[in-house]
Amino acid sequence: MKKLLIILLLAVVGYFLTVSMSNIKFGANRMGDLSQPKTVGAFYLSKTPGELSVANVITAIVVNYRGFDTLGEVSVLFLAATGLGSILYKKKKKGEHIPTVNKPSSALLQAGSKLIFPAILVLGAYVFIHGHLTPGGGFQGGAIIATGFLLMMMSYKDFTMNHSVITWVESLAGITFASIGLIGLIVDHSFLENFLPIGYINDLISGGIIPLIYVAVGFKVAAELSGVLDTLLSIKEK
Amino acid sequence: MMEIIKYIGYIAIGIGSIFLFLGALGIYRMPDVYNRLQAGTKATTLGAMSTILGVGLVEPTWFVKSLIIVVFIAVSNPLSSHALARGAYRASLTPFMKKKMDAYESEIQNEKED
Repeated sequence: MKKLLIILLLAVVGYFLTVSMSNIKFGANRMGDLSQPKTVGAFYLSKTPGELSVANVITAIVVNYRGFDTLGEVSVLFLAATGLGSILYKKKKKGEHIPTVNKPSSALLQAGSKLIFPAILVLGAYVFIHGHLTPGGGFQGGAIIATGFLLMMMSYKDFTMNHSVITWVESLAGITFASIGLIGLIVDHSFLENFLPIGYINDLISGGIIPLIYVAVGFKVAAELSGVLDTLLSIKEK
Repeated sequence: MMEIIKYIGYIAIGIGSIFLFLGALGIYRMPDVYNRLQAGTKATTLGAMSTILGVGLVEPTWFVKSLIIVVFIAVSNPLSSHALARGAYRASLTPFMKKKMDAYESEIQNEKED
């Protein structure tokens, strides 16, 4: 009876999925003529290469056209990290070290994570440095770097994050983001306006302020998420 | 010569797909955590490596990249399955079959005595 119900439910969901999917014409040009854009998407697609010379249009929208929104997102993440830290804050005695894992992990995992950790850091840095060329960006790269730190925390009992370093990195990255926006306000009359030469499309140094902002966002997200993970792992079950 | 390499690549992709399918089947069919881990990580390690290497052979410009990915999978996949199995054992999940010999248990005992 239960199985029958499940099959029936799946059939209903499948039917509506098929109906709604069959209306989408895959591969059809739904943007229309890019030289005379009619939709917002077509407008961005037609303007981005000339105005900003950024290969990844999504990055151009997120960081440049809607850069203020991204600043807000970064501060939401900052607030979340601060809130977690203030709720779970535990005063440590001087020199006291709270281990992140109860039991030591196996020698195999320790050796392997030593091998993988640099590769994860390089991948994360690649993702946020190439945010304007390939899919990815500051948030994704920062999250990848934080997973690398999580791996180290879980495999080494006495791996600690230096919280003052985390705070400094986070603050400096945030200040960089805001001050880039302020320079744009001073030079070009509006907040987060592009004031650097845009270069040529598909070059590493192109797109004006976009790579700078994404590097700052990458560092900020990596520091925040690592701090959050460290705080969460240091709770002890009673 | 290029044609032959291309067909070797297609064969590698085919072998990889078969292994990935068998891994998925194993996860569905096997009775307990350890057997499922075995199916889900051993078979998919070979499957993913073979598929990606095959893609590198079909498209020679991607060969170096695919080789790097293969090395990364070869390092990380067995490692994660080891950590998962160890975690499952430490969480006292019993194997499906009655165990006759358990080398790891005595090792844990030794660890506790140290």
